[in-house]
Amino acid sequence: MPKISVEGLKPGMVISKPVFNENGVVILKENTELTENIINRLKKMEIEYVFVKGERKFSKTKEEMILEVEKRFERGQNKPLMENIKRIIKEHIEELYARNR
Amino acid sequence: MPGIDKQKLRFKVENTQNLPTIPATLKNILNFLENSSISINKISDFISKDPVLTMKVLKMINSPVYGFPGRISSVNQAVLLLGLNVIKGMLLGVSVFELMQKAMTGLWEHSLGCAALSNLLAKKKGLKSPEDVTIAGLLHDIGKVLLAVNIPELYEKLIAATDKHGFTILEEENAVLGVNHAEVGSWIAKKWNFPNQLIEIIQFHHEAHKAKTANLECCIVHLSDVLIRAKGFGFAGDHFVPEVNQHAWDNIGLSEGDIKELLINMEESLEDYEELGA
Repeated sequence: MPKISVEGLKPGMVISKPVFNENGVVILKENTELTENIINRLKKMEIEYVFVKGERKFSKTKEEMILEVEKRFERGQNKPLMENIKRIIKEHIEELYARNR
Repeated sequence: MPGIDKQKLRFKVENTQNLPTIPATLKNILNFLENSSISINKISDFISKDPVLTMKVLKMINSPVYGFPGRISSVNQAVLLLGLNVIKGMLLGVSVFELMQKAMTGLWEHSLGCAALSNLLAKKKGLKSPEDVTIAGLLHDIGKVLLAVNIPELYEKLIAATDKHGFTILEEENAVLGVNHAEVGSWIAKKWNFPNQLIEIIQFHHEAHKAKTANLECCIVHLSDVLIRAKGFGFAGDHFVPEVNQHAWDNIGLSEGDIKELLINMEESLEDYEELGA
């Protein structure tokens, strides 16, 4: 569910979280498909960004993430509980990236 | 060799609102929190008078970190729903946001992540007031902010030295200052008349077995702190995962599946964290 600035929206994208105006009133419901008209309206209302459906962009590759986990856990080597947590975190990262495929 | 006089440091920390670098609004808030006779009406008035503060508090309450399904639209409603202590903590949390960002890049994200995990864990354990634990998660590292604003050059050096020494920031503080952010945080939490439970969690978030009145709550914040650092969200002063407290681990008793579920849920609740506080 990436967050996209209104400038970067294109017709056909689908809203993944309701959009509120400044008074807290819902102006676009979840699952609304964007059209040129709607995008222009959002721009006029000075809405900055919305959440749309689709893949999230990760700033790092999975391999980079895993390497960083190894580094963070360097001090926990030979401590079974910390080794255990490290493994769980690595599996969690695998899962996050697998979901996004 | 402790390079600093603990009593002098304590005096400085307790009088942080007098620092020239503290913004005027925050000075007001700190003075206000110091007053022990704050009532629900007074705090509502205080927040409502400041539109920016009102907006920040409402944003935070309605954020996924707290997991309120409905939208809370007024400060009065928020105070009634959450209680005085949570609102006090939130007032401080949202008002130190800028300071936190200046003091240590990434500490705000670390704190929010810890708050979100604490919230999820408190609910999982069926605690009656998960918001109290959430606010403790948000404020657990308040001592770092106070160190960073009171002894900025020295604290920056401590952070920089962690990689070289292979120390956590806590160990670095203990070695150089003879006192650490958990204790410093508890000084100020006492000074600001925070409830005992919150003082205890701030003081013992690295030694959860020592917490007497709010042991489970303290264990939750400790584990959240470790897990958010393990995941690598935000920056807490060093690049290492501190060792998990065995007592906290046993006390909470999560399965592997529980932890993975927790991390995935947290991911979802933090997707729009950037808008909080800004």
